Amino acid sequence: MKNSSSYTGIAYLFLAPALILMGIFTFWPVGYNAYLAFNDYSISDGVATWNNFAHFKYIYEEELFHQALKNSLLYLLIVPVIQVAALLVAKLVNNKLPGMTFFRAAFYIPVITAVSIAGVVWINVYKYDGILTWFLQMIHVIPQGSEGQVDWLGNPDIALYGVMLFTFWKGIGWFMVLYLAGLQAIPKEVEEAAILDGANVFQRFWKITVPMVKPTILLCTLMSTIAALKTFQEVIILTKGQADTYTSLFYVYDQAFRNYNFGRAAAAGLVVTFFCMILAAIQFRFLGEKK
Amino acid sequence: MKLKKMLIVGAALFAGVNAQAADTELEFWTMNLQPKFNTYFEQATAKFNETNPGLKAKWVDMNWDQIQPKLTASIAAGNPPALVNFNVPWVHEFAAQGLILPIDQYLGAAKAAYSTNAVKDVQVKGQMFAFPWYNSTQIIAYNKDIFAKAGIKAAPKTFAEFVAMGKQIKAKTGQAAFAPKMSDMVGFFYYAGLPVVTDGKAVFNSPKHIAFVQTFADLYKAGVMPKDVFKMAFEQEIAAYNSGKIAMMTTAAQGLKRTETDAKAIYDKTEVAPFPLDAGKLNLGSWMMDFVIPKGTKDPAAAAKLGIFLTNDEQQLAFSKATESTMPSTKKANLDPYFQSGAKSADVVDRARAVAAKSMDNARTLTLTPGTLPDETVMIKKLQEEIQSAVEGRKSVKDALNTAAAAWNEKLKK
Repeated sequence: MKNSSSYTGIAYLFLAPALILMGIFTFWPVGYNAYLAFNDYSISDGVATWNNFAHFKYIYEEELFHQALKNSLLYLLIVPVIQVAALLVAKLVNNKLPGMTFFRAAFYIPVITAVSIAGVVWINVYKYDGILTWFLQMIHVIPQGSEGQVDWLGNPDIALYGVMLFTFWKGIGWFMVLYLAGLQAIPKEVEEAAILDGANVFQRFWKITVPMVKPTILLCTLMSTIAALKTFQEVIILTKGQADTYTSLFYVYDQAFRNYNFGRAAAAGLVVTFFCMILAAIQFRFLGEKK
Repeated sequence: MKLKKMLIVGAALFAGVNAQAADTELEFWTMNLQPKFNTYFEQATAKFNETNPGLKAKWVDMNWDQIQPKLTASIAAGNPPALVNFNVPWVHEFAAQGLILPIDQYLGAAKAAYSTNAVKDVQVKGQMFAFPWYNSTQIIAYNKDIFAKAGIKAAPKTFAEFVAMGKQIKAKTGQAAFAPKMSDMVGFFYYAGLPVVTDGKAVFNSPKHIAFVQTFADLYKAGVMPKDVFKMAFEQEIAAYNSGKIAMMTTAAQGLKRTETDAKAIYDKTEVAPFPLDAGKLNLGSWMMDFVIPKGTKDPAAAAKLGIFLTNDEQQLAFSKATESTMPSTKKANLDPYFQSGAKSADVVDRARAVAAKSMDNARTLTLTPGTLPDETVMIKKLQEEIQSAVEGRKSVKDALNTAAAAWNEKLKK
């Protein structure tokens, strides 16, 4: 008979391949990034020198970083919207009707489309004389002719929301699938019993569906929060940070790969991580299982 | 027995591969030249490898916006390539960071081959940091039909005429006239002979600067430039011209090559003219390409050999002939009859080449003196954002330039 410690050993043995990969590609970079944040790093000779929190002091006073952080936090608006929408869509496609697989696939296709390719398509949707303007002019929501044309991604008042809509379109399928898995784990009997008790559709949704997929809600909310704070790809493709769409990770990228200041970039990255952790803690507090 | 045989053959093959690998491999990166110029590079590398036993040039092409991140990462990792295709601003940035090597010691007599402005373009504190390669300069390609509709008979001779014609085109035809590269106002200031930073202070908020930017604001408001002109770069401008949305394309001659292949109908209506000079007496949009040797490359002397080879008279001329639209940066190659032979040709690209070759004397890559700005990425972004607000009419030009200058001066003070 094996004792528990040898089981632990075997468990680690099974975990080892994944742990080694994560160690190399996740934990070590995170640790090294934290180390760089407190140092001046010279790429030419690879020397890092301690600089007494200079990077943090610098970004504390950097207007552009504040603006970027503000945009990243504003991006969080998408989290509740995408969660509610994804749950509703999941509920809809969870019905056993003919042709339902088509809808499931249709919602999921944006997820597997490369951001760069989808982005190029959306640039044309958002062009001042593109499909969106055409459609809105056709249904007479905005004025006709060139007067009414809106440069959706060029106007600082709306550009960020335009990017958010793209993220929404791109991400909803992913969360839909997660919620679908959560919904299918709900035993049929519970819902049937509620129907017998006379609960209507809304009551069943709020009293049964929502509580029973709560763990999925926590997971999805957490993931979309982190994704929203990490917004970068969408921005670099759609607007290149123009028109007040500069996000905090864009700042990190700019500082590292265009200003070659890896230390400052690491410090900014660490600040973003810090915000992620605070938000995660809040979400666990409100959505997590009560002990 | 069979197994043994196979092992022997395998070992022999392996040894063969190893022996070949003993050559010093010189990887060189270029930007956006594949697959159009595969033949040129295959021939060039073959020729270099033949004449330089022991060295093996290997061509790698990538998209221009991958080059910097990839190079930075490879320098940090300690295995950069031998040569990298850079533009002029990048040479200055990387030289200031100490990430590329000065090349004078390897150049020797070869230095005299390059044209004076080309050498100046890549000189940092008196030292050359790149092998000048192909150059280009902005010309005007215009749609004759739209010009005729607007009642314009000839291309503009001065910048003021250029602006006036733009307004006339919009007024008479309702079409946008042009989409100059608004993403580089610093270059525009130099073109207009206006200083940007003097004695460590931002000086782009003088009345002259304000008036200059106001010109663009007026043009934008009148619809002479497309609504998304700030998002338009090389590709988008060509696309707009090819679809007949703008009357003039103000770009390098190689842009026309794309019109020829992508929009034959527009190409047939196209005529070319030099882009007028302004007070700065400099061409707008000269953009020289070059090769740099990254710091930490294994054999810089061998890399330099390849650099000299790829940018010598013969190779540059061959490359220009392959592109049909770029200019060499060596003195002798530029004088080759090939460039003027097209002046009377029926083909627009040939005429464009002749037009561009004639304006090469004023070709300097217009960029801020390196090291002037402590945090260039952020500062240029600030300036561009303010100018965009002003041109798009959300702010007065004066306010915008004052705000940007104040932000620059605060950073410059530190």
